[in-house]
Amino acid sequence: MSNRYVIKKIIGALLTLFAVVVFNFFLFRIVDRDPLSKYRGRSKLSLEQREAMIRRMGLSGSKWDQFVVYIKSTLRLDFGRSFDSTRPVLREIADRLPATLILVGISTALTIGIGLYIGAKAGWARGSRFDRVSTSGTMVLYATPEFFFGMLLLAIVAGRTGWFPTGGLRDIGANYGFVDSLLDRAHHLVLPSLTLTLGYLGSYSLIMRTSMLETLGEDYLTTARAKGLKESDVMTHHAVPNALLPSVSVIAISFGFVIGGAITTETVFSYPGLGLATADAIRNTDLPMLQALFLVASAAVIFLNLVADLTYGLLDPRIRHST
Amino acid sequence: MIDSTVLKVRDLYVTYQSSFGPVPAVRGVDLDIALGETLGLAGESGCGKSTLAMALLRLVPPTTQISGSILLDGQNVLTMKPGQLRLVRWAQASIVFQGAQHVLNPVQRIGAQIDEAIQLHHGSTSSTVREMLALVGLSDTRADDYPHELSGGQKQRVMIAMALSCNPLLIIADEPTTALDVMVQAQILQLLDNIKRERGLSMLFITHDLSVLSHNTDRVAVMYAGRIVEVGPAEELLRGSIHPYSRALAESFPIIGDPKSRHQPKGLAGDPPDPNLLPSGCPFHPRCNVAIDSCKSIDIKLSAVAKSVDRQVACVHANDESRSVK
Amino acid sequence: MSDSVASISPRGMTWARRKRALARVWRELRNDRSGFSGLLILLGFGLVALCAPLIADRSLLLAAAGRNNPDLAGPSAKFLLGTDDIGRDILAQLVWGSRVSLFIGIFATVVAVLIGSLVGLVAGYVKGKVATVLLAIDNFFLVVPFLPLAIVLAVILGRSPVTLALVIGFTSWAGSARLVRAQVLSLSERGYVERARALGANSRHVILRHILPGVAPLIIANATLIVPGAILTESTLSFLGFGDRLSPSWGKLLDGAQSSGSITLNAWWYYLPPGLCIITVVLAFTLFGRALERIFDPRLAGR
Repeated sequence: MSNRYVIKKIIGALLTLFAVVVFNFFLFRIVDRDPLSKYRGRSKLSLEQREAMIRRMGLSGSKWDQFVVYIKSTLRLDFGRSFDSTRPVLREIADRLPATLILVGISTALTIGIGLYIGAKAGWARGSRFDRVSTSGTMVLYATPEFFFGMLLLAIVAGRTGWFPTGGLRDIGANYGFVDSLLDRAHHLVLPSLTLTLGYLGSYSLIMRTSMLETLGEDYLTTARAKGLKESDVMTHHAVPNALLPSVSVIAISFGFVIGGAITTETVFSYPGLGLATADAIRNTDLPMLQALFLVASAAVIFLNLVADLTYGLLDPRIRHST
Repeated sequence: MIDSTVLKVRDLYVTYQSSFGPVPAVRGVDLDIALGETLGLAGESGCGKSTLAMALLRLVPPTTQISGSILLDGQNVLTMKPGQLRLVRWAQASIVFQGAQHVLNPVQRIGAQIDEAIQLHHGSTSSTVREMLALVGLSDTRADDYPHELSGGQKQRVMIAMALSCNPLLIIADEPTTALDVMVQAQILQLLDNIKRERGLSMLFITHDLSVLSHNTDRVAVMYAGRIVEVGPAEELLRGSIHPYSRALAESFPIIGDPKSRHQPKGLAGDPPDPNLLPSGCPFHPRCNVAIDSCKSIDIKLSAVAKSVDRQVACVHANDESRSVK
Repeated sequence: MSDSVASISPRGMTWARRKRALARVWRELRNDRSGFSGLLILLGFGLVALCAPLIADRSLLLAAAGRNNPDLAGPSAKFLLGTDDIGRDILAQLVWGSRVSLFIGIFATVVAVLIGSLVGLVAGYVKGKVATVLLAIDNFFLVVPFLPLAIVLAVILGRSPVTLALVIGFTSWAGSARLVRAQVLSLSERGYVERARALGANSRHVILRHILPGVAPLIIANATLIVPGAILTESTLSFLGFGDRLSPSWGKLLDGAQSSGSITLNAWWYYLPPGLCIITVVLAFTLFGRALERIFDPRLAGR
């Protein structure tokens, strides 16, 4: 991969991030003319408290002044205080970030792995029984809102059998040792990550199936067969590496969907991560939280896109060797 | 002469399944290639020659029906189990495909692509990637390159190196010089010729360009609408073809060393018939300028001609004295 | 016979050609089993949505309607699908909910397709700075995670169904802009656009007469595939608290089911029907849209 490619992609990501930061200001300071009006406790504020709050939120002065204040505080990661808890937004986010990272990380890895596998296999054996069953299955998965999945899982697995906890991050009040506490957290993760994985499996496998179909007619597969390769080796050594390329860029775009899915999934399982924080912030109209959460989600997606672009560069020698 | 025949094809039929029904692409072909012999197979695109080449190693789509027999070194390819077939592919017969642009895997180093074949058939070869690249005139540093870093001619050299890597008895060259410019074409033809001589290989050389066949083939077969319409020693057939289709094909290309032909190229009007809608009688009669009434009804078979023991032609005029020599 | 001779005017010919094209689409759709069943299901849901007032009285949605009914009662002869946590008939909410869900899904799609086609047409037709800027904007909307964006917009702009539809439309046009642009570029490469320009046709004429007809089938198929996404987004946003509880969409019903604890209470009649409705309609739109795509773009046949 040439340095130029890497630098170009990094600069592109930084520019997009900057655009998001500006867009965020635009949304919360210009589209929304009076952000403070959404603060529920405002009627109880004294005039002085109100002035102080306006200053603290960077709402005084001209729009340009406000913009400068906003950029400065954003660079310091100072997002103000939550309307709801009145704690600093950064603290709220930092507290909840690890839980979401684990959930989204596990689910993304599973959904990409399983989705690509199913899609590759289905596309390779187009029209076969496996293809028909898996394609209809993935269509139904695609059509199901992931939170409905979560509700079904709760009703069937957690509610009826009691095999899994119905929510939370860990058993409250239990006093476990290190290993047990780890197992307990894993136990709480099973249903949420299953929900998120199933929720986005469909799109990934349909994407991979399509790019697999596009490689089926390629001449180099005939070459591989003529060389005496087994069908399974023709598929894994020649078809899949080529079919992965177009998939990577489409997958990059769909990271945003998984992050969106985390919001509802965490809500269903009362899993205290950033997703649940988002749902709470919606119900409480907690603007400072929402603003920061939007930035975090965008930054995460931009970062994952960058990772995908660089992966693409690694996978495709035509980019890797270009100058 | 117990069996110097490397390839013996008898009564080969290849029928594709398409959404419009069965498509008979090859309809009763007999072919023989002796050890060290090169047979040229010529015809327009769509005449079934590439299908024939693919069928030799059963590389046609799985729904395709193949009947007849293909004896490769005495073993029938058509009755082999998949495992046995995989052992025969590349080790007994390999293919130099047309248009090397797309026949190499774009995301794999070429060294690895050559090595893959060597590893797969390590029983039949001890050659190395480096040797194979040297054989086709490429430096061994090329092994780490990806196909997109090579020129068209270099890719075709890689393809040839790959085809030779497992010491096959027979090389099937399917329009190996098509997408290349004239200078490179000549180099590749020369390379194939040298290697073939050095190693005593048999070759099936497929082309739509008869002029390519003139100096590197022993015998030539001309194919039309899924059948061989004329076969004979290369020299004799190219100098004076008997079947009106062979003649038209020969005239549509300039003959190297004959400046007159360059100034008067004659094309062949019309297109080869759709395999689904073959004309009655001799399939060539609608485009034939010497067709007679019986051509519309009688589908004449390939048979020996009086004037030469080695030649066979499928035409009513085959033994007309006046027409046989131009 | 004289009629048919008389009708051979340019307009008549265009009409005849369109009629033939429509007939072909219809014929191929009839033969596409999954696409046609998708269409039938959609027609069924459309009929229910249109006839909602005949099936259940609107007053059944009012909070007061459930006052004298048992809360979270199971299905019975009186309440075919039971009642919700404030005693309202769930079937009535489901029937009226089809209106809200379909309306928001389709309205949002119209918004998305309008913005997407306009951006795509312009970005594909003009060259230079305008195209670069449009592409950058398109790229921005493709990258920014659209659910968080939709949430932020909906919080700022308001929570009514119409606002939701606008917000969803505004956040989901980027993909179709890209698709339309690619199609415009490939159409422009063909000779006749160039020829029309050379003959002195202005841009408006070229776009309306030559490019739009070539892009239209793609836009229609694409729109059919945006609707299911919009319906899913609507249900997600409603589930997260947007929307109107007194005129609930299917997603809003799921929100009610979730927050009333119907799952732990085993009140399956509350959460199962709206969820199944969403799945069925989304699936039907997807099957129908994919069939249209296959018909309009033969390269995709066999997928």
